[in-house]
Amino acid sequence: MDRPSIEALEVGQEVFEATKVVKREDVKAYADASGDQNPLHQDDDFARSVGFPGIIAHGMFSMAHLAKAVKDWAGNPAALRSLSVQFRAVVYMDETLVAKGKVAGVDQATGDVTLDVWAEVDRDGQRVTAIKNARAVVNLA
Amino acid sequence: MPLNHSLKGKTYQEIELEVDRDRVTQFALAVGEDDPRFLDAEAARAEGFPDQVAFPTFPTVVGILASAQIVVDPELGMDYSRVVHGEQSFEWRRPIVVGDRLRATPRIADVYAKGPNEFLVIEAEVRVTDGEVVCVARSTLLSRGTAGGA
Repeated sequence: MDRPSIEALEVGQEVFEATKVVKREDVKAYADASGDQNPLHQDDDFARSVGFPGIIAHGMFSMAHLAKAVKDWAGNPAALRSLSVQFRAVVYMDETLVAKGKVAGVDQATGDVTLDVWAEVDRDGQRVTAIKNARAVVNLA
Repeated sequence: MPLNHSLKGKTYQEIELEVDRDRVTQFALAVGEDDPRFLDAEAARAEGFPDQVAFPTFPTVVGILASAQIVVDPELGMDYSRVVHGEQSFEWRRPIVVGDRLRATPRIADVYAKGPNEFLVIEAEVRVTDGEVVCVARSTLLSRGTAGGA
């Protein structure tokens, strides 16, 4: 994959938008791959017992989607320097998770590009931000 | 009941994790990867990586093992049914690849209250066998309504 040209980046520019429909079988696969077997992510009865309408995706499931979007944009897994996120809302099955990123800073000398990133779902016509106050740094040198 | 804030700085038993091919492939598929560098050793080597590359958030596997030790520490007094994952960060120094042997000594980097909630920050500096740090993972667990007091 081609990496973006750092010279062409401008602060404020939106650089990616990546969508993913959250499927129950993918959340189960994530539980098995990561080792996080919390029943909140697999057992509807349990999820209802703690006040949710059904199971919710792992925060890390959404973070992985965001990390993939950053990596796909950067073009190279070795370009990733950091990603930090806050989980602010839960995500339910069959919702469409949208990861977005915007340029927050460019250091031409080092090649480091800082992105403001987030992930949101549309829930009954309202935009719900599942991941916010998130930052990624990638090196494009 | 509030968490025991005096445990800030406490370290826990070292975690060891061999990065094996099946787990790396399983993780990549679970996050919907089709990037061949995460799925195939030859594709990764063709781009200069020593072996199949682990997806960037793969160190969460270490983080989960770390949290599993810490949240049940009787000294900490955490009620896991009140806990949600509040924040997460990774600092990557180099990609983790199949064959790496990861080690991490998790520690409580911080415990603090904010409003009615408490926050437990678990930090794991993930090293490979020769001591090189490949990733620093920080997980903040939010303990709902346990701050007590006013």
